[in-house]
Formats: sequence, C-alpha cells, structure tokens
Amino acid sequence: MILNIDLASEVPIYQQLRDRIVEAIAEGVLTEGSSLPATRALAADFGINFHTVNKAYDLLRQQGLIRLNRKTGAVVTATVADSPFRADWTARARTVLAEAVAKGLPAGEVLKTCQSVLDSFATTQPEDTPCLLPSS
Amino acid sequence: MPVAIVVSSGLSALLLAIALVLPSINSPTVPFGVRIPAQRADDPTVLRQTRIYRWRVLVSGIVAAVIGVVIYSVTGEALLLPLSVLVLVGLWYGCFFLANHEIRAAKAAGGWYEGLHQGIAVDTELRTDPPRFPWLWLAPALIVTVATVVIGVISYPSMPEILAVHYGAKGVPNRLAAKSVGTAFSLAFVQIGVTALLVGIAAAIFRSSRPDIDPARPVGSARWHRQYMSLGAKALLGLVAMIDVGMLGSSLLMWTGTVTSWAPLVVVLPILAAVVVAVVVLARNNRARDEGEEDTGLIHRDDDKYWRGGLFYINREDRALLVPRRFGLGWTLNFGNPRTAMLLAGVVALIGLLITVRFGG
Repeated sequence: MILNIDLASEVPIYQQLRDRIVEAIAEGVLTEGSSLPATRALAADFGINFHTVNKAYDLLRQQGLIRLNRKTGAVVTATVADSPFRADWTARARTVLAEAVAKGLPAGEVLKTCQSVLDSFATTQPEDTPCLLPSS
Repeated sequence: MPVAIVVSSGLSALLLAIALVLPSINSPTVPFGVRIPAQRADDPTVLRQTRIYRWRVLVSGIVAAVIGVVIYSVTGEALLLPLSVLVLVGLWYGCFFLANHEIRAAKAAGGWYEGLHQGIAVDTELRTDPPRFPWLWLAPALIVTVATVVIGVISYPSMPEILAVHYGAKGVPNRLAAKSVGTAFSLAFVQIGVTALLVGIAAAIFRSSRPDIDPARPVGSARWHRQYMSLGAKALLGLVAMIDVGMLGSSLLMWTGTVTSWAPLVVVLPILAAVVVAVVVLARNNRARDEGEEDTGLIHRDDDKYWRGGLFYINREDRALLVPRRFGLGWTLNFGNPRTAMLLAGVVALIGLLITVRFGG
C-alpha cells in the first residue's frame, strides 16, 4: 500500500495518515488481518516523529478499524457500524454535501460523484450502499 | 610493471565513463544533486550546466591522463599512477560541484518550489512484506572460499617451506615467510573478511536503507526500488565471488611457488571485470522507468539541506543507515546516524586486522 502525505496541506499529518488508511480499507487494499508497519518503522520511512504515527494509529483504534497489539503490531479488524457511528457519520456527510449544494453543484452531479466514489471501493456490496442523501 | 598501468587506466576509463553517463541515468528531478520539481527538469539552466559539466569532465580526463604520463616518464615509478586516478576523482567532484552550485542558485532565484505541493510517499509493504534477500547469490562466494580452504588443507604438506607473501616489480617475491597456517592461509582470511563485509553491506541495503519514493508516481517508484535493492545485493554478492576467485588464484600461485610476471593480474582481472559488470548493471537500472502512471499532483519535498556539498547525506533525524545516492550509483551512508560512525570504525578495525594478518607475520 502506498501512503502519500501532502506537506503543504492544512490537514495535519496524523489525520492524513488516518484518512489514507481508512481509504485503503474501503478500497480493499487492506483487508481484515492485514498488518500495518510498526510505528517506528513507518515514522522512519516518512522521516516524521513517531508520535505522529502513534496518533494516527490511536485514532484508527478508537474507531475500531485496527487492533493494536504488542506482539503482532497494528492489524486491520472487521468492524460493524453501530448507531452512534451512523449518527456521527451522517452529520459529517451532511456538512460535506452542504458544501456542494452551497457551491451550487447540481444534485444529479453530487449523486453521480457519490456513486462513482462508492463504486471505486472494491469492498462495497450492491445492497449496502447507504448514500444518505437529503432528497432535494 | 605493467599491472599498475593496466589498473590505473582501467579505473580512469571506468570513472570517466560513469562521470559522463551519470547526468543521463540519475533521476531527472535531482540534476547534480539538486532537488527540483519535475516541470523544471528541462530548464535552460539545467540543460546548459549538463553540457558544460560534460566538457569539463572530458578536459579533466585529459588533464589526469597527462599527469599520469608525466609522472611515469619523470619518475619511472608505475606505482605512483593511482595518483592520477585520485586527481581525476578530485577534478570530477569539482565539475559536479560547479554544476550543483549553478543549479542551486537558479532554483533559489527562480523560486522553483513556490506554490507546489510537496509530499512524502511510503510503501508500507516494504515493511509488512519485505523483499527476500537473494541468499542463493551468496553460494558462489562461499563455494570458492571453502574450495580455497580445502585445497589449502590438502596441499599443505606439499607446499614449499618458504612462501612468498608479497611481490615486487615484475612479480618477483620481495617478502618471504616460513610456512605456517597464518601465512599459507592469509588470503583465505582475506576472503572470509571481505565476504563478511560485502554480505553485511548487502544485508544493510535490505534491512537499514530507506527508499526514496517519488510521490508523483509512487507505485512505479516503489516497484523500481524493490528491484534495484535486489539488483544491488546481487551485484555485491557477484563482486565478492570474483574477489574470492582472485584470492584463490593468488593462493594457488603462492602454494605452488610459481613466479610469473602476470601474477598480479590473477587478482586484478577478475575484480576489475566484476566491478565493470556491477557498474553497468546498476547504471542500466538506475532510474525508475516511466510506466504511464497517473501523476498524483504531489512532488518530492525539497531535501537539499541534508546534502552537504551535494553529495554527503547528514540527517540526524533520519534513522536510516543507507539512502539512495542522488548523484551516482547505489546507496550512500547517512553520516548523521551514530551507527554510521560505529560502522566506519568497525570497517577500519577490520582492514587494520587484515593488514596485520597479511604483513605482520
């Protein structure tokens, strides 16, 4: 898996790392049981402080996407979306979609983008495509 | 003594060829050790400096050759000829540094990095699924070393009582020593030491090097890095096998008491041939091939500040022991890493030990 971080971005590096790993899980590049490099090894390869990598891994652990273990390191786990997650995710999706609407993107285009992004994720099953769009 | 002439001219020719070819085989985004954005790779300054550099290198080659001929005709001492190789290396660095300086100045003056998104790319599979070390390529070196020891043990009783341990001009022995395990097997000890050293370096490439992945085309870059690592290790293991062959040949001459004028060639030719092959193989694969990968929009971050004089990598924050050379073939040490100092001390100690074993008796 290639992890790319943008040093000019306003998004903090730990957040970028976390986002890239979540995307890799969605794309199927990382599957249940895939291991991630050790914190120090990954930090050394990036040339960044290992606390930054720790922070990204800790976020992923809190969200139940990886399991941290002293012996096996960081391993991707299977997870189910619970109701607090659904509520939280819907709120964030609402903000992102609101940005599109506020900028005047037509609803058709927004839906199409949503669908093509979901299609690009190899792990998405046809029956569980919950693109929760406010009907407009 | 023609051997010094053969070695010096061979090395000079090889250096000159590498110096002339390097601008074409190093990454186009690091011309003369200056990191530049890909869109500046064909900048007039870069193209002009490349042209000027090649002319300067050619002139340096002629100067070094003239110095070599003058030294030889004045002193008649062929052993001074390697000096001309050192002169060539010095002049070459000068040519490199002038080009490096000009491009750095143009980059700073033109603000080449303004408004660009600098990034870092990492291939996590290099850690979770590391490439396998080519252990099979160690077999030739081991077989030759073991063969040397076995032949030595078998023929030890029939060896002459006095062995030649050093040769002077025209291959005439100028230092003799009484037969003992230390003198008869001195070259076998060299084989073991050199093999261990080069295998250690090859292993360090796999274990302690940091890849330099291009964030613009990370997938192709990561794949190339894996192949280059494996190629580098194989080149080193091939080279050490040929060094061992040279030592075996030289040992056979010593054990049979053979005195010929071509004795030094037994050592020099296999090693020189292996060096040429290793250089050609690495040079042909020195940069990632363009496989039409889509540009990610990120460019490699400007890391010039860690490269002193354009060549020496000093970064205390970097835990890597080896990083890919920016100008040249293969890898270079991170001189900011404390382990590098320990390693260099170890190598110096090993060389000292070898010299003691070889000449102390």
